[in-house]
Amino acid sequence: MSDFKTMQAKDLQKASAQQRVVKVGVQIVTYLFLFTMALIVIFPFYWMIISSLKEMGEYRQSIPTLFPKVLDFANYAEVFTNEDLLLGQLFFNTLLVGVISTALSLVITVISAFAFARLEFKGKNALFAALLATMMIPGELFTITNYQTVSSFGWKETYTVLIVPFLVSVFYIYLLRQNFMQIPNELYLAAKVDGTSDIKYLWKVMIPLALPTIISITILKMMGSWNSYMWPRLVANDDAHRLITNGLRTAFTNAEGVTDIPVQMAAVAVVSFPLFLVFIFLRKYIMKGVSRSGIKG
Amino acid sequence: MVDSKHQWKAWLYLAPAIVLLLIFTVWPIFNTIRMSLLEGYTTMQDVAGVSFNFGIGNFKNVLEYHGFITCLKNTILLCVLTVPISTFLALLIAVALNSIKPLQRFLQTVFFMPYVTNSIAIGMVFAAMFNMIIGGGARPDSVGIVNNVLEAFGFEYINWMNAGSEYWANIVVMVVYIVWNALPFKILILLGGLQSVNKQYYEAARVDSTPRWRVFTKITIPLLSPMLAYVIITGFIGGFKEYSSIVGIFGEKMGPVGQQYSLDTMVGFIYRAIGNNEGRASAAALILFGIIFIVTMINLYVSKKKTHY
Amino acid sequence: MKVVLQNLTKIFPSRNKKSGEEVVAVNDFTFEIPDGKLIGLLGPSGCGKSTTLYMISGLQKPTGGKIFFGDDDVTELPTESRGVGLVFQNYALYPHMTVKQNILFPLQNLKGADKMSKAEMLKRATEAAKLVQIDNLMERKPSELSGGQQQRVAIARALVKMPRVLLLDEPLSNLDARLRLQTREEIRRIQRETGITTIFVTHDQEEAMSISDMIVVMKLGVLQQIGAPQEVYDDPHNLFVAKFLGTPPINVFEGAVSGGKLIIGEQAVLDVPGVADQDVYVGIRPEGFIPEENGPMTCNLSSVEVMGRDSSLVTTHTASLNPLVRSIIDSDIKVDPAAETVNFSLKPHKVFIFNKETEDRIYFEVN
Repeated sequence: MSDFKTMQAKDLQKASAQQRVVKVGVQIVTYLFLFTMALIVIFPFYWMIISSLKEMGEYRQSIPTLFPKVLDFANYAEVFTNEDLLLGQLFFNTLLVGVISTALSLVITVISAFAFARLEFKGKNALFAALLATMMIPGELFTITNYQTVSSFGWKETYTVLIVPFLVSVFYIYLLRQNFMQIPNELYLAAKVDGTSDIKYLWKVMIPLALPTIISITILKMMGSWNSYMWPRLVANDDAHRLITNGLRTAFTNAEGVTDIPVQMAAVAVVSFPLFLVFIFLRKYIMKGVSRSGIKG
Repeated sequence: MVDSKHQWKAWLYLAPAIVLLLIFTVWPIFNTIRMSLLEGYTTMQDVAGVSFNFGIGNFKNVLEYHGFITCLKNTILLCVLTVPISTFLALLIAVALNSIKPLQRFLQTVFFMPYVTNSIAIGMVFAAMFNMIIGGGARPDSVGIVNNVLEAFGFEYINWMNAGSEYWANIVVMVVYIVWNALPFKILILLGGLQSVNKQYYEAARVDSTPRWRVFTKITIPLLSPMLAYVIITGFIGGFKEYSSIVGIFGEKMGPVGQQYSLDTMVGFIYRAIGNNEGRASAAALILFGIIFIVTMINLYVSKKKTHY
Repeated sequence: MKVVLQNLTKIFPSRNKKSGEEVVAVNDFTFEIPDGKLIGLLGPSGCGKSTTLYMISGLQKPTGGKIFFGDDDVTELPTESRGVGLVFQNYALYPHMTVKQNILFPLQNLKGADKMSKAEMLKRATEAAKLVQIDNLMERKPSELSGGQQQRVAIARALVKMPRVLLLDEPLSNLDARLRLQTREEIRRIQRETGITTIFVTHDQEEAMSISDMIVVMKLGVLQQIGAPQEVYDDPHNLFVAKFLGTPPINVFEGAVSGGKLIIGEQAVLDVPGVADQDVYVGIRPEGFIPEENGPMTCNLSSVEVMGRDSSLVTTHTASLNPLVRSIIDSDIKVDPAAETVNFSLKPHKVFIFNKETEDRIYFEVN
């Protein structure tokens, strides 16, 4: 009887030891896989930075160096002073367009979401459904006519054309409305009893409570301006109004199509730098916004 | 709940959004259909007062246009390659991330990094990684870091994207970049899905001593199926609109030097017709919408059958 | 501030458009709430009491009728300008504001001549907080407070602007039993100290009876009876009111009046002079039974529950509409728990008879 017992205990011990080995093995494989993938994901960023710090001579070596022998900041100096690129103008244009369109877009999004979430009016649900339906249509379909429209308004090569056509995002209105709807109705009634107007309630109660969503929207919208390429190229590709992504794409390639890669990488690093800052400090909001949405800015 | 006699207030709040949407969203829908059905429509002629025949000539024109089939082929090829690869990789990474404790947050952050980038800018970085610098000798001065790695493993270097490169090599470069770009969003959504799965299912499976692989195929995948359906559908929609990643790597000529537009896509086709042949652009845009619509419907249909709740 | 409701009516359009049936939530309501009193609006759920409260607050507009605060007709006045304080069932505290900010909020909305300096607002807020004894919690967020504390903050927020009328919607329903007793005394105290006309809604008759100066009993949008709690308890105008008030509830029997005698089952249990012969419902308060060996009413004894001061006899009777007949008697009166039956004589003023059709009270002379 007692023999039987100890036998069983031994077997159990053996089995659990085996299980532990398997478990540790799986863990090691998992970490190896994740680190390999992480390395691949990060590598382009690393390559961008070290390439931007190499002299052309070193960059051209047939056996590449994983770290520059001489840190050469001349490429960055070239980026900031290049007269074809006009980096300062590009930054200014992009920031101006980004800030103004984000601010206006936020106002429109907030008041529209408020109307859909809190106010009662005839045709509300039908209108909201119609708005959502437009989200299914690819944006390229609108671009053709919008190009005509802004041309006939005489808006080409102005800041207006970069800001106005994209002020309303049905998606952001939808996102914020959903958030507003979660705020209990009693708070609205309480605010009425406390003598608050609709606008003041929106400002004092709803906006603070929906702040994370509003921040997400702000970041995504700003990133959208920073990264926008096609529309600006179509309607405002002149020196005075060109945005940063457009400027970047065509810079540092000479007439024969030969590119000065280290300088180009320096320019890419400069353009990517603000995005890195956003990523480091605000990624929580982006991740939250994106996981609720699924669109790229 | 509250009686409101201020209906006009609601309309006042909505006015800016409605006006802008009417001009830049609603009107384009109707106008695109109109232009697509006026044969040979161009804005310039329209403004000049030329009248056009009503018909489906633009659609015929698009389908017969020499570049269009290339665009369609490239678009579909990239879609069919990148969506499954990126979804599968994202799923593996998400499951792996979900199964670890130390460093989980750190790695999650690393994997999200490519999301917050400029696809043109980072495309240029990828181009630099695949690009060769031709010197005077038989062998290029630099074959690019990717080829260096290949050579380190004993392979021969490949002309990925320089002049004279082959189509399949170009496509590989595009697939690598698009997958890299698509991973963060998919990982985020799938990991979110995994983390919201009730731990009790796994505990129950453990009590029943279910093997690991069976847990994955019989519990994880079914419970994750709504998120999988979501990333696949959005992946296809994005895939059919592929454009700026190609510009990022190959530039606006959409191909290696000497092979202009060999990698052109549907969206590229539409954009190039804007400003000179709006009838063709509109017809192509409607064809694109039709394709996206059909593919989405098929996806929804399949996922409804396969999605488990 | 006295509050007068005149023919107040609220009709909700039907949700179901096809059937087109309207819901009359409040039907032709008229009554006057005297200045400085604590009034309980009482009734089962769906009786229109909350709707009435919301109409007084202005959050809902009446379909018909008028509302006066003092001599002012406020029917058309929007909520913001009525100067009422309202405490919501779930308190509706602003979750992102501290207790202090919550209490200050109504004051910051005052306009024109009512506008106050910051110091003045702070003083008022502190006073209100002291009144409800939460002045030590001013910097906390609502999520850091217990249910009882949140309730107090909600009351302070409602009181701080010195409302003309204070309204409380089911103020105690989210509190546990012990806190409920304590809080209702608190509401009574605060109302006394401030002297603000206070109307609260509840479905709990004990709650309403214990602290109100006056209770208003409602059923299906129709006013049933108004009066001081004891008055309504002692003199219910109909069967519904009689049944709704009192714990344990009133015992109801089927009975008949014949030749000036009230008959329950086979037994003539009470003289009811001046009532015509008819079938009736009979309500007997639990404290209306006196066990007597020769009492006219016989019940089958199930058990005796002694609760200190009183005992409760649990009995059954074939004519009873409830499965059990409960009586409460002085515990000095001994009843043999093993006995099969027990005989009662009845206290005439604890016996109410009601018309079988209308369920209205039929009065008889009590000697």
